[in-house]
Amino acid sequence: MLQVRKNRLWKLALILLLSAGGVSLILFSLNSKLDLFYTPSEMLQADIKPGYRIKLGGMVKTGSIIRNGTKLNFLVTDFSKDVAVSFDGIPPDLFKEDSGVVILGYFLNNIFEAEEIFAKHDENYMPPELNIAEVKI
Amino acid sequence: MIGEIAHFLSLSAAVLFGLILIFNFFFYFGKASPNQLVLSTRLFNQACWLVFFSFGIYIYLAINDDFSIAYIASHSNTQLPVFYKITSIWSAHEGSMFLWIVFLIAWSILFIKSLDQNHPLKKLTLLMLSLIILGFLLFLLLTSNPFERILPFGALEGADINPVLQDPALAIHPPMLYLGYVGFVISFSFITAYLVNGNFSLQWEQDIKSWSLLAWIFLTIGIALGSWWAYYELGWGGYWFWDPVENVALMPWLAATAFMHSLFASSKSNVLKAWTMFLGILIFSLSLFGAFIVRSGIIDSVHSFANDPQRGLYLLTFSGLISLFAIGVFAYRLPALNSSNLVVTGSKESFLSMNNILMITSIFSIFLGVTYPLIIESIYSEKVSIGPPYYNSIFAPLILIAAIFIMISIDALWQRRMSFRTFILSILTPTILSVLTIYIIWKITNVFSVLAFIGILSGLLILFSYSIKIITNFIDKKYINKGSAISHIGLGVLFLAISLNSILSYEKNLNLAPGQSIAINDSLKDFSFKSIKVLEASNHDVISAEVSVIQDNRSLSLNPQKRKYTTRGQITSESAIKASVLKDTYLTIGDQLDNGSWTFSLKINYFIKWIWLSVAIMVFGMLLTIFKNKTS
Repeated sequence: MLQVRKNRLWKLALILLLSAGGVSLILFSLNSKLDLFYTPSEMLQADIKPGYRIKLGGMVKTGSIIRNGTKLNFLVTDFSKDVAVSFDGIPPDLFKEDSGVVILGYFLNNIFEAEEIFAKHDENYMPPELNIAEVKI
Repeated sequence: MIGEIAHFLSLSAAVLFGLILIFNFFFYFGKASPNQLVLSTRLFNQACWLVFFSFGIYIYLAINDDFSIAYIASHSNTQLPVFYKITSIWSAHEGSMFLWIVFLIAWSILFIKSLDQNHPLKKLTLLMLSLIILGFLLFLLLTSNPFERILPFGALEGADINPVLQDPALAIHPPMLYLGYVGFVISFSFITAYLVNGNFSLQWEQDIKSWSLLAWIFLTIGIALGSWWAYYELGWGGYWFWDPVENVALMPWLAATAFMHSLFASSKSNVLKAWTMFLGILIFSLSLFGAFIVRSGIIDSVHSFANDPQRGLYLLTFSGLISLFAIGVFAYRLPALNSSNLVVTGSKESFLSMNNILMITSIFSIFLGVTYPLIIESIYSEKVSIGPPYYNSIFAPLILIAAIFIMISIDALWQRRMSFRTFILSILTPTILSVLTIYIIWKITNVFSVLAFIGILSGLLILFSYSIKIITNFIDKKYINKGSAISHIGLGVLFLAISLNSILSYEKNLNLAPGQSIAINDSLKDFSFKSIKVLEASNHDVISAEVSVIQDNRSLSLNPQKRKYTTRGQITSESAIKASVLKDTYLTIGDQLDNGSWTFSLKINYFIKWIWLSVAIMVFGMLLTIFKNKTS
């Protein structure tokens, strides 16, 4: 009986050890692959390492869209601070002035280099953070 | 008036399902009489038919533009073709929930019919199904009523369906997906009934096998259609985004795949009984979790329906209670659920169990990826999201290990340890061939990516080992399980297609004036933008570009479009796609610049059609398996 219990204990310990190892590997992977979400004000205050992929959410500022060939420059605002964004490519159909955007990219020398601009299926979409920001104003 | 009849029918159905439960609850302690089951079955059938009639009337109302019903008024329009008037029913929350319930009831009534009148589990299964259906009917009627009227006067014209949803693939994607999701209610209820009943000498696997395989097929087709639609309609050229809503569909799919595998082991050699039951319960619980995630708006996703905390709370409570009940009964009965046989190390079952564990690991990893942003937000109030890099790095090693186990298991036997010699022989040739092929691929493409090459290796190992097995068995005239072989070959093609697509595809952004042409690379010698045409269609205006391309000495003409829908003023892009065996040429038109030129995005997507072809192969293999199971 004692031997059986000892065996069971060893098995249990091994299973726990393996699953703990697995979970910590997954968590480690999660932490290095998170995309943090910022509003323009937060982004300008935060100390963001170059080469760190992040998300920026806000509204496209009125009259700020400048096109140059396939290049696109515009400002994203949260009605208190603006961040300049540059993008090469075709933005989604719902991208226009005065509407909400979420952009994935890198923040370098005060310019947000966009990798991808997200479109929402819903044309009335607004980033949730901004809804809060607007209420505050 | 007709709307009220439909509403009333659904309400009466809910009352009937409630009656079945109350009536059986009071008679449970008394003497069981055969009439009790007869009566319950009759009530159950009638209640089911009430809901079918109710839905039929709802379709009639949608076709006849009854805009006094709020849901139809806000999602349909008189201009729509009849087909889209019908599909608009499931284009948003209330109607799609209605469809969900109709399918839930359809599966239930068919399954109850298939059970013999004196089947010992018939009554308990019927009660379990009634409980689940009642829960969802109440959810529909109390929190998301599709019959709600606009009083006192209805709308004159409907607000129209979102134009990106006016598409045949998207019209049948939700029905397929829901048929898959709710199909697993059968294994869930039947296993729970078995556990409550407590007579473990009964055989239960055969009763639900074909049903589960069929539900798997619907779920697979549903997911594939959604991804195909996203590829050609959204204009991003991608097919899978690891969006939370895609993830909650993938979790039950993985659980269902694991379930089918262990179901075969369980019915073949009496092993893994308890584990199989656990998986059978898990699939539907994950489907319910998915319904909660999508319909509560708790996670911000491109697919999510409007945010409503009340719905979320109801769904979370109801699905939590149902799942906890099933898991609770399972835990209570677990000590008595010993399988009569043990899994022999090195047998077919042992490799199959290993892959079961890998599938559970991947479900757990996805679950963590979906819920982690919620946890972080509630603890640190920071907003984070988890994208493809996380999932890719988790999945690549898992699929390689899975592919290795699949390769070894081909030559393994049920219930017997495989000899070291067979083991070496079975892995030697496929491994050598795969490594050689990888070297050739590397030499030809000149690109290297660790994750993609892991994927390619996994695909090749499966393809080579199955091909060798098929050829040798054909020569020796030995038996081979065709369904399984074909499905696994589909899986190998899928791994290969996804990996090759990720390393070979490329994208070019262009800016040209009408009449201008440029050379892009050796394969695309000429890209000429001929002209822009403005056209008018029934419910939208079209800007269409005429582009001709000389690709690999073939001349292609591409007409990417921008559409402006008149009712909503919404603009959508229609990409032009020309497919060849190896690659798709995918062109999207952007905006016009001040100088009159236009922007284009040109994507060359390698092996992308192979992704859906591989899914078709897997489904075909599964159909063969069902057919074999039915005839044997």
